[in-house]
Amino acid sequence: MERLRVYSHRKAKLIGGTFIVVLLALGLRVGYLMIFRASHYAELAVEVEQRERKVKAARGRIIDRNGVILASNKTVCTISVIHNQIEDPEAVISCLTKELGLTEEEIRKKVEKVSSIEKIKTNVEKDIGDAIRAYDLAGVKVDDDYKRYYPYDRILSKVLGFTGGDNQGIIGLEAYYDEALQGEDGKILTYTDARGVEVAELGEVRLEPEAGDDLYVSLDYNISRFATQLAEQTMQRHQASGVEIIVMNPKNGEIYTMVNVPEFSLQEPFTLTEYMAGQTGEKTDLLNEMWRNICISDTYEPGSTFKIITTAAALEEGVVTPEESFYCNGSITVEDTRIRCHKTTGHGSEDFTHAIMNSCNPVFIQLGLRLGAPRFFHYFEQFQMLSTTGIDLPGEGATIMHQLKNVGPVELATISFGQSFQLTPIQMASTVSSLINGGERVTPHIALTCRDRDGKVTRTYKTKDKGSVVSKETSEILRGLLHQVVAEGTGKNGQVAGFAVGGKTATSQMLPRGSGKYIASFIGFAPAEDPEVLAIVIIHEPQGIYYGGTIAAPVCSQLFENILPYLGVEETEKNTDSAVAQ
Amino acid sequence: MERAVTAQKKKRKRTGTTKYIDYTLLLMIICILGFGLVMLYSTSAYNATLKFGSSIYYLKRQAMSAGLGFVLLYICVKLDYHFFAKFAGVAYLLATVLCLAVNFVGTSSHGSSRWLNIAGFSFQPSELAKVAVILYLATVISKRPMAMRTFKGNIKLLATILPIFVVVAYNNLSTAIIIVGIAFIMVFISSPKTAPFILAFVGVALLAVVFIFGTYRQERVQIWLHPENYDTGYQTLQGLYAIGSGGLFGKGLGESIQKLGFVPEAQNDMIFSIICEELGLFGAICVILMYILLLWRLLLIATNAKDMFGSYLVIGIMVHIALQVILNIAVVTNSMPNTGVTLPFVSYGGTSIMFLIAEMGVALSVSKSAHVET
Repeated sequence: MERLRVYSHRKAKLIGGTFIVVLLALGLRVGYLMIFRASHYAELAVEVEQRERKVKAARGRIIDRNGVILASNKTVCTISVIHNQIEDPEAVISCLTKELGLTEEEIRKKVEKVSSIEKIKTNVEKDIGDAIRAYDLAGVKVDDDYKRYYPYDRILSKVLGFTGGDNQGIIGLEAYYDEALQGEDGKILTYTDARGVEVAELGEVRLEPEAGDDLYVSLDYNISRFATQLAEQTMQRHQASGVEIIVMNPKNGEIYTMVNVPEFSLQEPFTLTEYMAGQTGEKTDLLNEMWRNICISDTYEPGSTFKIITTAAALEEGVVTPEESFYCNGSITVEDTRIRCHKTTGHGSEDFTHAIMNSCNPVFIQLGLRLGAPRFFHYFEQFQMLSTTGIDLPGEGATIMHQLKNVGPVELATISFGQSFQLTPIQMASTVSSLINGGERVTPHIALTCRDRDGKVTRTYKTKDKGSVVSKETSEILRGLLHQVVAEGTGKNGQVAGFAVGGKTATSQMLPRGSGKYIASFIGFAPAEDPEVLAIVIIHEPQGIYYGGTIAAPVCSQLFENILPYLGVEETEKNTDSAVAQ
Repeated sequence: MERAVTAQKKKRKRTGTTKYIDYTLLLMIICILGFGLVMLYSTSAYNATLKFGSSIYYLKRQAMSAGLGFVLLYICVKLDYHFFAKFAGVAYLLATVLCLAVNFVGTSSHGSSRWLNIAGFSFQPSELAKVAVILYLATVISKRPMAMRTFKGNIKLLATILPIFVVVAYNNLSTAIIIVGIAFIMVFISSPKTAPFILAFVGVALLAVVFIFGTYRQERVQIWLHPENYDTGYQTLQGLYAIGSGGLFGKGLGESIQKLGFVPEAQNDMIFSIICEELGLFGAICVILMYILLLWRLLLIATNAKDMFGSYLVIGIMVHIALQVILNIAVVTNSMPNTGVTLPFVSYGGTSIMFLIAEMGVALSVSKSAHVET
């Protein structure tokens, strides 16, 4: 038998070698694709958007204390076309042009583009979507989708927050309780054969979405609406740059409302408000500023309202009694620095009750000096006002206070009447609530429970017991003093016919000092003997008169006039005439 | 005495009349096949569950075909391969007739009828055609080697392949091209001439280019160059996405996303793209090296076979596997226009895997008498 010829032998090796070289070259080609072209193809893959369609889960609603729905979902449709399945492109183009109000050119481009699925339009109203469904055109898909819907638009905008395109909460409660509200998205999977055509008989595999839980909150829509209107009027009247109002239950920390005007539109959170559009800066920065919840995120110098805290510390420590006599000659000298009272001629002889009614700075400076920095700071700790309040909203700011070792007599003096440090409005409201409610520290909070769609409670939000911060007796004396402030002192514009109101006014300078910009504020609560509701009103940069007692206290008065009866607080002072007469 | 007998036996072994097959080759076959079945299961489980409600549907069928293949392999190893020479003509005729028949009574899939239903089994005659052509050419060349000395003789032999080429090309051009490739290379090796073959190759290549650009097949070229603009580029594009997303070490076995309906029927022609996605560049290079080793082993057997018939059989088998591997990987990496060629031992296809294993049996049978220095 003959063996392979020599030339055949050589040629066979040549062929085999060629094969091996070609295979090695293909190996290089694979390496090139997998290393250098990887990102290119990854990008393309996303663009062509594959045939796994998401079914959005219905996001949980946000419901106020009376069952008013503050945030819910509206069914909208997403219209897309699947190129391979279109049988009559002209009919598809004319139908979509007619129903969607887009230009024919735009639609034609998308219909004729070769891709597995092409989105034509999202957020289409449901009736339009149904109309397109009725055409029953091959290759046109109408998918139901949910769009977040806020029926009251700007009311509570910065508290509720809104969601982004991917159903993710961006700010406010939507962000803080995102996990509970979100639910689980479902999926629709469709299959294709070798030519890329959907295989009809295989149908679709659906993974049903799971709706998110409803969030029940302590907010009150009616109070919020009224407070927002009030704040807007106030802002306009005083040409202020902003007005904040917090209304809360001082006993348990439940927030009834938190108003930050100017509010923005929750339906169009990415559109700058008129006011914001006038500002200069990057759009993202402006948006962030527009969305910021000043009540919890921004610190301010509290001014005279802080005298409530100084008083509480002094009373608790026993360095003063309401009856003790003081003398104010218009100023006080602390270590060579002369600090003036707001009444430059002096209040003359007065007892402590009248000193707080007059908001007399020298008297409070004396209280601060009597306490001394270490003891004063010890009370700040005890009142739990140096950290954050722990409110269930994202972005809370902490108190900015001096370091104890840096506090000299002058600093101590300025702290005593609320200057040279900063805290947030919510911290101020919560601390005062804790001091007047009998001494129990409250955690301000909004969420109460989560319920599934059948109304079953799935989660209950309880605040931590933070313990007692001041004695019952001190708290009672404090309530009496603050009632006097409103009844006959600087806060008398905060009076409400038929109700005993306690409170304190403040007028503080905006930093940097000397800029001529002021913050007028008022903290009020009612009924004075057993507070059911507490409110803080803060007016930023009012033009003209800027005294808290003159412009902020009336706002609180108007607010209480309406919400006290609404909340079912009984009138305590039958003699309404005398109140009005003042 | 006893010692003398053993010595004699040992001597006989060394002289080459032993019946040892090439175990290295057998081991390689088992490795590639095992790897192929694992990858087949990984890529097909999703589609199988979807279509047939059982994740092992494709795996089971492929394993059964492979089992049948091993029965054939065993028979081939046991038999003297010269036995097949008697059937060369018959096999060639039978393959031609079956390939013709499939055009009329075949089961269609994707617009071409390529399967014959025989007793409940679907059978792809074009796979038989490749084997038949290898056997036929090996027989003819080894019987009359002198006829191969002239180019005219070469052309005459090639011309006898024309009928089967035509009937296969009618509905399966890629297999027909592989058949011609096998025939052309086998005849080229058998001929002492080189230049006319190179001229012929260039001529045919030019003709092919003219043909492609002159007819509807021009679209294929456009799809190849810009797959994203074409509907039918979908498969190619999805394959590239799969390759692109593999990275250095891949997503891990079974972790491919693209096999979930995006690369259509990933267990068939496009399986290499899923290997890239799951096992990464490292895995892909290993697969290519595995095929290179297999080809090298076959080349060794072919060049060391004790007679011409054995050599040409193994050369044909080597060319068959090499062409399929090269064309498959070239298509998957979009290095050439799309043609449906399967990856030997890995892609799903019962007839294909059965014949491939049987061919390995023939190669092993030839190796028994080969003087391979190992």
